[in-house]
Formats: sequence, C-alpha cells, structure tokens
Amino acid sequence: MEEISYGTGPANLDAVFAALADPTRRAILTRLAEGQASVNEIAAPFAISQPAVSRHLKVLERAGLIERGVEEQRRPAKLKAENLSAAVDWLTEFRAFWDTSFEQLDNVLLQMKNAQLKETKDE
Amino acid sequence: MSDLPEFIIDREFQAPRDVVWKAWTDPALLSEWYGPRVETIIHKFDLKPGGVWLNEMKMGDKSDLSKMTFQEVVPEEKLVWHHSSTDPDWNVVSNPMMPDWPRVLLTTVTFQDQGDNTQVRLVWTPYEATDAEIACFAGAMDGFGSGWGAGFAIMDELLADLLADKT
Repeated sequence: MEEISYGTGPANLDAVFAALADPTRRAILTRLAEGQASVNEIAAPFAISQPAVSRHLKVLERAGLIERGVEEQRRPAKLKAENLSAAVDWLTEFRAFWDTSFEQLDNVLLQMKNAQLKETKDE
Repeated sequence: MSDLPEFIIDREFQAPRDVVWKAWTDPALLSEWYGPRVETIIHKFDLKPGGVWLNEMKMGDKSDLSKMTFQEVVPEEKLVWHHSSTDPDWNVVSNPMMPDWPRVLLTTVTFQDQGDNTQVRLVWTPYEATDAEIACFAGAMDGFGSGWGAGFAIMDELLADLLADKT
C-alpha cells in the first residue's frame, strides 16, 4: 500500500498558501504569467520599492512558485506553474470532496427510499 | 466555541431523518457514497464514543487512509468524530503535502427535520491544533470565501493561459 498522495512534485503547499495569501504577491504572479521580468520591471506598476519587491520575490521563490535567472544584473523572475497548479488543485479537490460525496449520497437515499416502498407494497 | 476557523457545509437531503442517519451510520451504505468517485473500503466501523472508523479510499494504485474516532453518537441527531490522515498502519500522520494542515479535525454532523426532508450541517474545525495548523487551515478556508476571491479568479485565468501556451 502506498503512502497517501495528493499529487506529484515537491510542492510544500503550506508555503504556497502562505505566499498566495498576499495580494501584492498574487499581482506579481499575474505579471509573471505574461512573461519573465526583472525586479525593475515588476516594481514599475506598484507603489512599492524595489527592495520590497525583492522580498516578495524571495517568498515566492521559497514557495517554489517562481525561479530567478542566473544573469547577474537582471536576475529575471520566471513563473513556475506546477506548484501553483498543485495548490489550486488541492483546494478544488477539498471542496469537491463533500459536494461530490453528497451527490452520491442523494443516489443512495433514493435507492433506500425505493427499496422501502417496494417492501411496503410486498407486505 | 470560538474564534477557530471553521469549514461549514449545509445540505438538505430528500429523505426523512431516520433514512439519512442510516446512510451515514451503516458502513455498507456509507462506503457507497463517502469519497468522490473512488472505491471506498471501510476496514472498521465501531459506532460508539471512543470507537473508530478506519477508511480507505482507493485511487488507482494509490490509497488515501484516514481514521475517525467517534466522540459523540446521538442517534438520528448528531455525530462527532476526530478526523485524521494515517499511514498504512493506521497511525495518525500529518498531511505529506501540507505539514501544517491540522492533524486532527473535529467533525460535527447534525441532522434536523426539514418537513419530510433532512437538513444536515457538517462543521470541520482544527482540534488541539498548533498556531501554525490553525493559520494553515484558516488560510485554506480563506480560499473559499472572500479572502482570496479575486485571487482565485486570477489564478484560474493564469493557469488557463499557461496550459494553453503549453499545447
């Protein structure tokens, strides 16, 4: 029997959820979805300093949501979609667990009621 | 109780309370519906305070194991259990993907008449949890509510774009 598994990959979803909890970091991810960008380019539309952007990028990098390039000057940030996708999948599955189970329960109840009706008729 | 984060589902079922109760407490019936589109095997089901429900959900060649320990059993009214993930030996473990997901979730299910139907409320809340576990659960619950509403929509769009790019 295998260990419980909610998907593949090295994502630590705790860190992913913590990283996603901040609106500025979500906005940065949205920007990076359009393509890789340097700290300067990312900071431009925001009313925050480059060091603040750098701190957000560090949180996103630790969560495995982005990777930084090695070019010394620009170090462009690039989105890593897999871990983001894992977090969204996890939440979607959590919500779907009960919704889908309860739909299945509706069917079980219907069968039980039909069986009861049949018994009453047979008596 | 409290300011602990809660996950609440309210759902009306088209059957009288005794029938709904039976579907929740007869393991043969329970295994038919518990777990979305998976094969559910109930290894043990001892419906009394302190009794356990050992549950396996098979997804392909993988299994998701959980152990529920009943705390309160009030026939046709209320079921309370502690809900945990386990290893293959039924030892309680933390979620491998989310170390800070609460190891034990207090689950309370209440059953009430609604005319000829039954109103069921299910409440999940962290039990004897660390601050980190409570924060993790609260963060995830925010994902369902307004907390991340906009963020979620962005994520959806973004993921759709990324998938489209890949193909």
